[in-house]
Amino acid sequence: MGNDSSRKKFWNIIANIVTFKEEKCKEGFVLNDEGNESSEGKQNKNIYNVKTKNSRTNKVEGNDLKKPKQVHKTQGCRKKEKYDEGKSLVIEELFVEPNLKTNKEYLDKIYSLSKNKDIIIREFYIALDPPLQAFVLFIDGLCDKNIINGSILKPLMVLLEEVKEQDRKKVPIGGNIAEYIRTHLLPGHDVRILDKYRDILDNVNFGGTALFIEGSSKCLVVETKGWDRRTVGRPEAEQVIMGPHEAFNETLRSNTGLIRKALRNEKLITEMVKAGSRNNTDVGIMYLEDLANPKLVDEVKRRITSIKTDYVGAAGVLEQFIEEDPFMISPQVLTTERPDRVVSFLVEGHVAIIIDGGPQILVVPITLFSLLHSPEDYYLRMPYGNFLRLLRIAAIFIAMLTPGIYVSVVNFHQEMIPTELLLAIAASHVTVPYPTIFEVFAMEFSFELIREAGVRVPGVIGNTIGIVGGLILGQAAVQAGIISPILIIVIAVTGLASFAIPNYSLSFGLRGIRFVFTILAAIFGFFGISGGLFLLLISLVSMKSFGVPFLAPIAPKTRTEPDVVLRGPVWSMEERVDYLEPLDRHRQPEVSRGWIKKPRGGRKNEE
Amino acid sequence: MKNKVYIGYSEVATLISIMIGTKAFLGYPRLVTQLGMTAGWIIVFFSGLISLCLWLLISSFLACFPKKSLTAITESTFGSIIGTVLNIVVFTFSILVISNSLRIFSEVVIITALTETPVIVLTLVFILAAWIAAYYGIEAISRSAYISFPFIIASVIAVLILLYPYYDFKQITPIWGSGILSIGKNSFLGISAFGEVILLCYIIHYFQFDVKKVKQAGAFSIILVTIFFAAIVIVYQMVLPVPTSIETLVPFYQLSRSINLGHYFQRVESIFVMFWIFTAFLRLSMGLFVSTIIFQDTLKLPYYRPLLPAICLLVFSLSLTPADMMQTVMYEDIKFNYGWLVTFVLPLFILVVALILKRKEE
Repeated sequence: MGNDSSRKKFWNIIANIVTFKEEKCKEGFVLNDEGNESSEGKQNKNIYNVKTKNSRTNKVEGNDLKKPKQVHKTQGCRKKEKYDEGKSLVIEELFVEPNLKTNKEYLDKIYSLSKNKDIIIREFYIALDPPLQAFVLFIDGLCDKNIINGSILKPLMVLLEEVKEQDRKKVPIGGNIAEYIRTHLLPGHDVRILDKYRDILDNVNFGGTALFIEGSSKCLVVETKGWDRRTVGRPEAEQVIMGPHEAFNETLRSNTGLIRKALRNEKLITEMVKAGSRNNTDVGIMYLEDLANPKLVDEVKRRITSIKTDYVGAAGVLEQFIEEDPFMISPQVLTTERPDRVVSFLVEGHVAIIIDGGPQILVVPITLFSLLHSPEDYYLRMPYGNFLRLLRIAAIFIAMLTPGIYVSVVNFHQEMIPTELLLAIAASHVTVPYPTIFEVFAMEFSFELIREAGVRVPGVIGNTIGIVGGLILGQAAVQAGIISPILIIVIAVTGLASFAIPNYSLSFGLRGIRFVFTILAAIFGFFGISGGLFLLLISLVSMKSFGVPFLAPIAPKTRTEPDVVLRGPVWSMEERVDYLEPLDRHRQPEVSRGWIKKPRGGRKNEE
Repeated sequence: MKNKVYIGYSEVATLISIMIGTKAFLGYPRLVTQLGMTAGWIIVFFSGLISLCLWLLISSFLACFPKKSLTAITESTFGSIIGTVLNIVVFTFSILVISNSLRIFSEVVIITALTETPVIVLTLVFILAAWIAAYYGIEAISRSAYISFPFIIASVIAVLILLYPYYDFKQITPIWGSGILSIGKNSFLGISAFGEVILLCYIIHYFQFDVKKVKQAGAFSIILVTIFFAAIVIVYQMVLPVPTSIETLVPFYQLSRSINLGHYFQRVESIFVMFWIFTAFLRLSMGLFVSTIIFQDTLKLPYYRPLLPAICLLVFSLSLTPADMMQTVMYEDIKFNYGWLVTFVLPLFILVVALILKRKEE
């Protein structure tokens, strides 16, 4: 029996490999495809709307206040259904009880208060006449204690004593006490009245302080976030000489603030969605409402909200969940730590995705050319910027092909090398007992090892690793006759070139593909390299990033301004890129330099 | 579910230019020199002109059947039996051409770069790469062609310019070479060299633009390639005298080998070999794709991808059938002499009959 089933399984696998199956449109989204709105997208939109509705609990409060007793009764019934002693709670369906003790029991069970020592419940009396029992719930370490003391406890316990006796008698006791406290007693800038436990817990877990009051079926949640955070620092991976030196940190609000600071526009929208069923990370989606294509925004939301996993911890993880081709060498999402870079994409009609807890922000959609650009290209004058871009393009080819070309030339195309150089190479190779391909792989492997070790070891030793690896190891290898000296130069130049690529992920991809090219070159020489380039190009032109062809605007050719490989002067870029289908294509007038009366091109300033 | 395909005018024009132009890297310059002697370039010029006229005629007729491929027109005109037979003839021709090209490319790689590699290995590598590219589809192939086009053109121009120290204008005289009659006859036969332009008629349903643009794309390709063919043949004859040039198997390789600009810039043919190997990959992929599409349309199948393994195997086997390179070159010469019957005359005949029937119906 066991043999039969395994044989059947084996034949099924074989049949799966050799038989044809109908293509499934994995991506299902093409930005410029008018009729491609999938039903799935619409469904997710509804889910999104539902989430938005859920957050509008303040509206419900008003209705509840009119009929407090009835509401309490209903909720009492819910309690019996949803909570019995010894049974687990269904938090999603749990509401605040007027009885303070019951609420405390709920929280005890939810937070396992006997074990959980950083969840604090502080009981006290609100100085009303008669005093009203209450407690606040917050998580130590996430909240600012000064706000809790000064803006919650002090007004309720101490300052209320100063309210005139006459006024105090007017204080309503019962259903609308929560509203009274919110409007009269709590000076916090963000105080919300909630009744669902799910909403309350989400707030408390994220630095809020919940105030439960005896006799009230509402809970007040005060915004008291105040955890230790890294200040806005300098970029680590995207340093520039000219331009801003600010980088994102791990706090979402701080990051959105940095973007808003640089892009002061009321049309800049920050939508929030959740990712990860366990960590419930906040993910911000930022875009300019009057510029970004609504279909693109919907698609971004659809992809993020459709993720079904328990933990999304950082931008790198989210990137893997939303990209189209996970096995391609190039990333399809741009990761940046620079606010100015994000802003430059937003004003083009791109969408930024900000995940709480990570200093990297994702930008979609992107093309290969945007991965090759550096912010500094724009901050420098055009000729200097273009020089840097040319240098970088050369670096890509050097990083990808140099070891392969070296292997090809030495093994197959020796006639290309001038005789003196050929003799020098041959002489240096005489003492080396291995074939060239072995030498190249040994050195490439050592180089990658040095790079990885340099990243992992603590900072001070990291520099030492670089010196030891780069100088001593290389020189010793040459002197020992294991490696030829010319190869050291080849590997060093290749390594330098790979670090000149501005995008970290793309740099990784190119370093990986370099090994493939080296193998192809070792087997087929230039023929192998040519074949490899052909297949690489075929795969790159087939890629898409959020429905945008990866090599746009060159392939497919679309309308664009001079800012693809090289860039023109900033005043000549009048239109936005076509492939994003922005709502407004016009960036600036034909003559953007208002001070020019008669430009060299003959176009006159109309003003 | 069929994914939508987006191909622009520029992509199509460059792809067809590369399809036609790849012959420059094979035996075409030698063949026209053989036929026209010192007037080889005049044959190229007139062949281009005749091809252009025929293409304009064919594309004008094609415009009467919007968004219909030639395969579909053939079947609707001649009925399912004769139509299918005619389409199978075209498919067979395309398979033979592509398999012969595959063999020639492999042989040329052996001559130019990998002298000790068995031909079967290179043929296998070529067909596997072409399979992958054809699997990705015309969108990927045409976009790759468009991106690589400037580099290929630049490499050809570089070879032609870098040979300037060897230009000898006397070698292209007498101007009329083998004689006016011979030039006239061979110019007509030489239109086979531009036959790839007809591929546009078989994949017309993939294009987003109208037939007018298809006509322009074909015309652009023919004119551009004529200019380059003529320039290559002229330089070839100026650098190598006629007796030598009719003996060279791979003329363009010989030209790039002749470059010698000082001590440090010589024997750089391997770099140029890289570029034209790239064009070989493109040509084979596109040839394989179009052959598969013709077969798919003939049999009215919903997908072309399942056909690729079988057609690849067919092309691979046929490419290994010739005993040696000389036999392959001989087949290429036969294609040069009679290929126009399938590439120009047959489509013209089909379209004329289709138009007559259409008029009668109206």
